Amino acid sequence: MSAGAAPITVPPIDLDAAITASFWGRAIRDTFRNVGACIGLVWIVLLIIVAVLTPLLANTEPLIVKVNGKISWPMLRYLTPTDVILFILAAAVLIAAAFRRVSMGRRAMAVGAVLLITIPLAYIFVHPPVTVDWQEYRDLARAGRIQYELMAPLPYSANDYQRDDPSQVLQPPSRAHPLGTEANGGDVLSRMIHATRIALSIGLVSTGIAVIIGVAIGGLMGYFVGRIDILGMRLIEIFEAIPTLFLLITFVAFFGRSLMLIMVIIGLTTWTLEARFIRAEFLRLRKQDFVQAAIAGGLPLRSILFRHLLPNGIAPILVTSSFSIASAILLETYLSFLGLGPVDAPSWGQMLNQLLGVAGTFVWWIAIYPGLAIFLTVFAYNLLGEALRDALDPKLSR
Amino acid sequence: MRWTPSSADNVMAQPLLELRGLRIAFDTDRGQIQPVQAVSFSIFPGQAMALVGESGCGKSVTALSILRLIPSPPGKVLDGQVLLQGRDLLQLSEKQMRSVRGKDIAMIFQEPMTSLNPVFTVGEQIVEAVKLHQRVDTRHARQIAEQAMHDVGIADPDKRLDEYPHRLSGGMRQRVMIAMALSCQPRLLIADEPTTALDVTIQAQILELLRNLRQERGMSILLITHDLGVVAGNADAVAVMYASKVVEYATVFDLFDSPQHPYTEGLFRAIPRLGRPGGRLATIAGTVPSPRRFPSGCKFHPRCPRMNGDPLCAQTEPALREVMPGHWAACHHVQGFAAKPITQPTIDFRRPAVPPVVEATQ
Amino acid sequence: MGAYILRRLLLMFPTLIGVTLVTFLVMICSPGGLRSVIVSHEGLMDPRQRAAVEKYYSKKYGLDKPLPVQYLLWLNKVSFVGVKDAGAGWPASWRFGFKPVDLGESIVHHRPVLDMVEEALPITLLLNGITFPIMMGISLWTGIKAAQHRGGVGDVVGGSLFLGLWSIPQVWAGVLLVGYLANRNFLHWFPASGLHDLRDEEMNFLPARLVVGFHCGWLLDTCWHLVLPVVCFMYAGFAFSSKLTRTATLENMAADFVRTARAKGVSERQVLYRHVLRNSLLPLITYSATIIPGLIGGAIIVESIFGIPGMGKLGVDAVFDKDKEMVLSTTLVATVLTLVSYLLGDIAYAIADPRVSFEAEGT
Repeated sequence: MSAGAAPITVPPIDLDAAITASFWGRAIRDTFRNVGACIGLVWIVLLIIVAVLTPLLANTEPLIVKVNGKISWPMLRYLTPTDVILFILAAAVLIAAAFRRVSMGRRAMAVGAVLLITIPLAYIFVHPPVTVDWQEYRDLARAGRIQYELMAPLPYSANDYQRDDPSQVLQPPSRAHPLGTEANGGDVLSRMIHATRIALSIGLVSTGIAVIIGVAIGGLMGYFVGRIDILGMRLIEIFEAIPTLFLLITFVAFFGRSLMLIMVIIGLTTWTLEARFIRAEFLRLRKQDFVQAAIAGGLPLRSILFRHLLPNGIAPILVTSSFSIASAILLETYLSFLGLGPVDAPSWGQMLNQLLGVAGTFVWWIAIYPGLAIFLTVFAYNLLGEALRDALDPKLSR
Repeated sequence: MRWTPSSADNVMAQPLLELRGLRIAFDTDRGQIQPVQAVSFSIFPGQAMALVGESGCGKSVTALSILRLIPSPPGKVLDGQVLLQGRDLLQLSEKQMRSVRGKDIAMIFQEPMTSLNPVFTVGEQIVEAVKLHQRVDTRHARQIAEQAMHDVGIADPDKRLDEYPHRLSGGMRQRVMIAMALSCQPRLLIADEPTTALDVTIQAQILELLRNLRQERGMSILLITHDLGVVAGNADAVAVMYASKVVEYATVFDLFDSPQHPYTEGLFRAIPRLGRPGGRLATIAGTVPSPRRFPSGCKFHPRCPRMNGDPLCAQTEPALREVMPGHWAACHHVQGFAAKPITQPTIDFRRPAVPPVVEATQ
Repeated sequence: MGAYILRRLLLMFPTLIGVTLVTFLVMICSPGGLRSVIVSHEGLMDPRQRAAVEKYYSKKYGLDKPLPVQYLLWLNKVSFVGVKDAGAGWPASWRFGFKPVDLGESIVHHRPVLDMVEEALPITLLLNGITFPIMMGISLWTGIKAAQHRGGVGDVVGGSLFLGLWSIPQVWAGVLLVGYLANRNFLHWFPASGLHDLRDEEMNFLPARLVVGFHCGWLLDTCWHLVLPVVCFMYAGFAFSSKLTRTATLENMAADFVRTARAKGVSERQVLYRHVLRNSLLPLITYSATIIPGLIGGAIIVESIFGIPGMGKLGVDAVFDKDKEMVLSTTLVATVLTLVSYLLGDIAYAIADPRVSFEAEGT
């Protein structure tokens, strides 16, 4: 060691490059490079915003109104627990997104905690009046008793059938009703906005259920093989052999038509795709050295499944989830179209239903707009799924 | 129609196939590469010529170019001629070329496993070859196919014709490929590493089969290989290729006795000999250059032990000159290289047939 | 080959049994249980009638017996092999063999379900039978063309077009088709609904020239009625099969055996249509088998939009009529249809690919 030797300098590690070289980072970046995926994502985000802000966008009740000198907030009074929960959830997500330095897991848990607290509180404290007089403020306005009111951009709720003005039935698009009205007097755009929630929630919840069931069954099949695998394959074949729509209408015929039920049913009938993929992944992974090492090290089964196999095998599920959301939305559309959808929830498919059997008259604004919404949403999820697939598995791309 | 060899072996006959200065280019999205540059050699009737080189030196591309099987959008012929008995194959129309393929020149490939169509029987595929070039009905074509299978040593040819390729072993499939290639009596058989994918014992059988067929029919064969052992046992003339060029061309005996090019020397040195005391295996330093980054001047110069810093090797590419009668090499450091003539490499030589082993009777 | 079919049939049975189990479970778990299935519409009968019907059905279906027995009884009822009940007493009077399928009776229509299914099934089969070959044919053709002109305008545009078409929900497409092409106020090129004209009884089968002018005949009339439903049924089906064919064709074009064929002197055209095509068919056959349940299920939508009295419409009407036995029966029949199609697909693949042997696996 000679004196005066130059201090050893270590070249700085390019953290950003190292991080973006990670599997997920690269996958997400590749996905966003895909034009289709970006367009799809934009549309989906738009839908989410519309779903969250529904009561603010299309509501017969004014936000603020001054009648006879008294100020009141009717819109707030008529908020449902769902509205409140969604608002708070959206706010929580936005705030959590701002805390960039906290890890993803912690942020997700925080949002989940907020959700868990809000749900029961909302149901306890938020009680909108059961009956609504849709004409109330319109009558007051006609009588000239309103000094000031601030309304939502579209001043019609989904269930406001405009009984006070029968001429508004089945009107083509106009300034008052940008997308026209239905045969029962409801505003098309308003019903479409309200239907966004149904569509998105059915997509997410049904797919969530399908993923949970599929991953559970497929994972067990892939890990334990042998008899469980054979049994599971039979189960998958059975569910795949019954045409999905037939199975769905059978369930609906026997169990009824509530929204929750339909979400569960769609999940119950479409889990096979996820199961197949997870099974293939687990079959492949269990032969790999790190899993063998974990087993040899005596790790408990729970740990092997959840900490080793699952995170590595989850990639294809992301792809199928996107496609599954699209197909779940489609299935709900089909059910509603046949008249078997969730009872009195406005839904895009249900709006198309009105055109069935209407001999002679073809109402183009009801045919085109809800259909267009369904198409764009399904297309968006499909584009996202394609982009994810190209990003996550180079072997599958052209 | 069988061609009978002439009685005088050393008569200066017309070469069956002549390559003159063939230059092939590929257009890739990163620029043009030339995997074959100025390749010239000749094959005579009844001759077995070996084209030797490592992977990536351009020998397969050369072979495919003879039959114009290089897909045309990325690949194109920049220069040169391929003369089949005087007719330039490169000038023919596609339709004329199709009548050459399989009939005058046939080709067999390296992977017998995948070279046959899995959904057709072996018989159907041979019959297809026959009917493409001969005006016979199906029954007659089948007889020809059966005869061809018999000639390559497949037992029970009648039954085998109705088998599907996946039922046959690798050696059998290669025999079928040879049968298919020979079914129209080609004058030249191009064999692109026909035995590389086979077991050693099957290798020997196939090579012996090829030798016998060649002798029976007077057929020429262009044998592409990287195995000098195969060359030693089967070739009459040898062309050694390195990085898109022919660097040495001689009879097999001349090549093995006195290699002129440092690359050829290096190849021979690298062959491990049994019976010698162990030690490090000799290698040729460096790696084969990729066609994208060919060195300037002589392509071998970065690895050449003869170079000794000579700037000539780095600047000027040596042409293939006839450094000795019937022996061509491309190296500046061969004695008196610059004065040697540049001629079309032509070797009309066939090794004497190996007499059958006779049991010594005492 | 007969042994192969038999083996495949035997493999089909566990799945079939499983399906019956699933449907039975749905029946049991539903509010009302098995009883409500058998005795629907009890509110419409007066109490004495209802008691008598209940008693009859309880005895017949063993509603008071334990669940597994109920399952077996029900299974026996709907299957075509089983125990023939030749009277009371066991086992002397029971015989095992082929028996007529009893799918129950439609409460609403007062007809055996089997009869109604027999009427509706051929129509659904017709719809699928026409759509499937056309769809596969077009996919094959476009896939090959896309592979031939890879990267060209047709390839890129075609691929995106098909993906877009696939994303259009059938309900929307059907509504738009009817609305714009079958509308009296718009382009009335096609009839809006039904499979036959109202006066189809009077028509000749084939086109004929009558005194009053050209008469299109029953055959052409039915074809005309079928155009829109078939289009609606198949517009979305090209996306994946076309891309599959394209990929398979591209792979095969680069395969070694194609190089061999070219070296033999085979023309490019023959290489494509003889050597490559046969190999590209294989993944297509496999894929087409997987979309069959979707096709049979999708018939529900198309039949509802166009008012075609097939299995799908039967099922949907049954749901509205709360005719639970009918719903179950249509689902069961649809599943049997699917399984038979799987079998046909298997056989087709085995014929097309000589590598699949007809002998037992492992040979």
